Amino acid sequence: MLSFFEVIDRTVTGPLMSDQDFYLKLYVPELNKVIQKYKIKYNPDTPLPTDDALADVIFEAAVEFFSRVGAYCPDTSRVVQFSREEILQAVSKAPSMSTFGEGPDRKVMRSRKPDEHSEPWYHCGGGIYTTSEAIFMAIVEGLANIRKANSLSIPSSIRIKGKDARVRSPQEVLAAIKTVRMAREACRRAGRPGLPILNGISTATGPISMFAASHPNFGLRSSDGYLVDSLAEMVIDFEALDKVAFYTSIGANIGSTSTPLFGGYNGGAEGNVIATVVYNLLGILVFRGTYHYNAPLHTKLRVSSTRPLLWIIALANQALHRNAPYPTVNLPYLGGGAGTDCYYYEMAAYHTCVVTSGGNMLSGHPSIAVEPDSLVPLDHVLNIEVAEAASKLTRREANPIILKCLEKYEKLLKDPPKGFKYQDCYDVENGTITNSEYAKNADRIRKEFKELGLPIEKSA
Amino acid sequence: MGEEQILEKLKEAIISFDEKLAEMTARDAVEGNIDPLKAVEDGLVKGLTVIGEKYENDEIFLPELMMAANTFQKAMFVLEPKIAEMGKERSKKGVIVIGTVKGDIHKIGKDIVILLMKTAGYEVHDLGEDVDLFTFIDTAKKVEADAIGLSALLTSTLSGQKDVIDALTQQGIREKYVVIIGGGATTPEWAETIGADLYAENAQVAVRKLTEMLEKRK
Repeated sequence: MLSFFEVIDRTVTGPLMSDQDFYLKLYVPELNKVIQKYKIKYNPDTPLPTDDALADVIFEAAVEFFSRVGAYCPDTSRVVQFSREEILQAVSKAPSMSTFGEGPDRKVMRSRKPDEHSEPWYHCGGGIYTTSEAIFMAIVEGLANIRKANSLSIPSSIRIKGKDARVRSPQEVLAAIKTVRMAREACRRAGRPGLPILNGISTATGPISMFAASHPNFGLRSSDGYLVDSLAEMVIDFEALDKVAFYTSIGANIGSTSTPLFGGYNGGAEGNVIATVVYNLLGILVFRGTYHYNAPLHTKLRVSSTRPLLWIIALANQALHRNAPYPTVNLPYLGGGAGTDCYYYEMAAYHTCVVTSGGNMLSGHPSIAVEPDSLVPLDHVLNIEVAEAASKLTRREANPIILKCLEKYEKLLKDPPKGFKYQDCYDVENGTITNSEYAKNADRIRKEFKELGLPIEKSA
Repeated sequence: MGEEQILEKLKEAIISFDEKLAEMTARDAVEGNIDPLKAVEDGLVKGLTVIGEKYENDEIFLPELMMAANTFQKAMFVLEPKIAEMGKERSKKGVIVIGTVKGDIHKIGKDIVILLMKTAGYEVHDLGEDVDLFTFIDTAKKVEADAIGLSALLTSTLSGQKDVIDALTQQGIREKYVVIIGGGATTPEWAETIGADLYAENAQVAVRKLTEMLEKRK
């Protein structure tokens, strides 16, 4: 595979181009060309497609598009190009499994195949910010207490000593360090000190805070995961490459991350399914990832759960896992707030699409209101139960379930219901559920999911 | 070709992103002595209205918005000199200075707002990303803006929006500008906390709310 040094050299030797020209003269026309050439067409009737030939065509289109367009480096205003051979060679060398964690919590995340009945990797949590250290600790401990959770994504804590930790400030460095220390301590309190944290430095926005918080004194290890994200669309800036340079040098797991935007330069479903696959190829080749975070997002609604976005995430996972054995976790941004029926049906539709298509799960983020403290652990238990149930289904069996879920929430996405905060449902001191209505509601939802055909079992 | 046909063709040119047709039909309008302002408002802008509706319904996306804006511009190159020659000016909905606040380098959401603002008839000054707070204020003064648009995607960059409002207040010019905020990290509550005039959850809402507020202020 092309060396990382060769990749970064191309950021200073590739063709010069303005970002406007990159998008208007290269990116958008070439994307339209491959959509037409490969006759890719979104079908709203099957949000979870079952056509393997279509999945393979998407992969082929993605390789062709990536080899024609490359990526854009805004720091040097250059296009970073790769040949088809270089891309395919990287695919052949892609890691098909990644090992995370320590001790009893050391586990292997694998690339799964569509319709495979193995259990997916259960990744819990999210980067939603918290308002106080007490709530931060309670939330992370609550998540770590979910025995089936294989790894955590921890909330961000953007205040320190009662003050805002601004982007790129020394306060941010201190807040990032504090967050990491508290997260590891919360895992220890849950009896799982080796539980891997795949997004431990959500408080850090830039490399300085991220590197500072990665110091082993603060509790992170190379067996945790470190996210490196490209900006939409196909932007690889020096900050991201700095992170790759550092984390590859310490032998850490890198999670290449992407958020293709529905409604942006990729256009609609057809362009976004190709882009989603391309970002994974970029993740292997440029970001040297050991796993990938997929997070396609609707620009207007700020969610991942619309009908076309379900089609995108399902088909992109199928295209990848049939052709490139690269483990993916898939991040649902959901309209409904924590504990709402809207949230539950959205996450059920999303995870069912992902898991039957070969992906691994990341529990749902309530995203529209960006409410603080809205990671509520019992919701994440339900996310895991749904993902486990979905692993027992084939795509063909799952599609009618997804259509029924869509009926429940599709019309709500323009104005989704707000949900609970952690402290509305839990005792912050001892982490027990205090809101019996919330707990009862979870049982009702389980029953409804069963009636829809999801073979869900309540966790022990 | 009659006036009605020319206006319809201008509208059609925008809807089909046909730059050549837009330019040619604009020439027909000039040669046919059609009021160029009428050609803009009853031809091109009607096309843009259809484009806006299609965008709202997820029938078209950012690339098509850009193509429609380019098509509009092609026709305007022909019509603008004629409008100036007549001593007239196309009425603007307003002037807005817009950018992503300090520390934040996200751009696509902001770019969509800019395109919709432009096609709705605003004069837009795009300051780009990672913009220093005084650049917002100095540019707003320089171009005599009606509004300042502040985008922030990251929670830790939200304070950049507050800084601009605080600096406007400190300089005693807060009331001079409508401050509108948006971006993934923003909420109506945050807008209220920092004293922004408007919060927009997406680009269309930004255009609608700003237009309503500027109308009220007239």
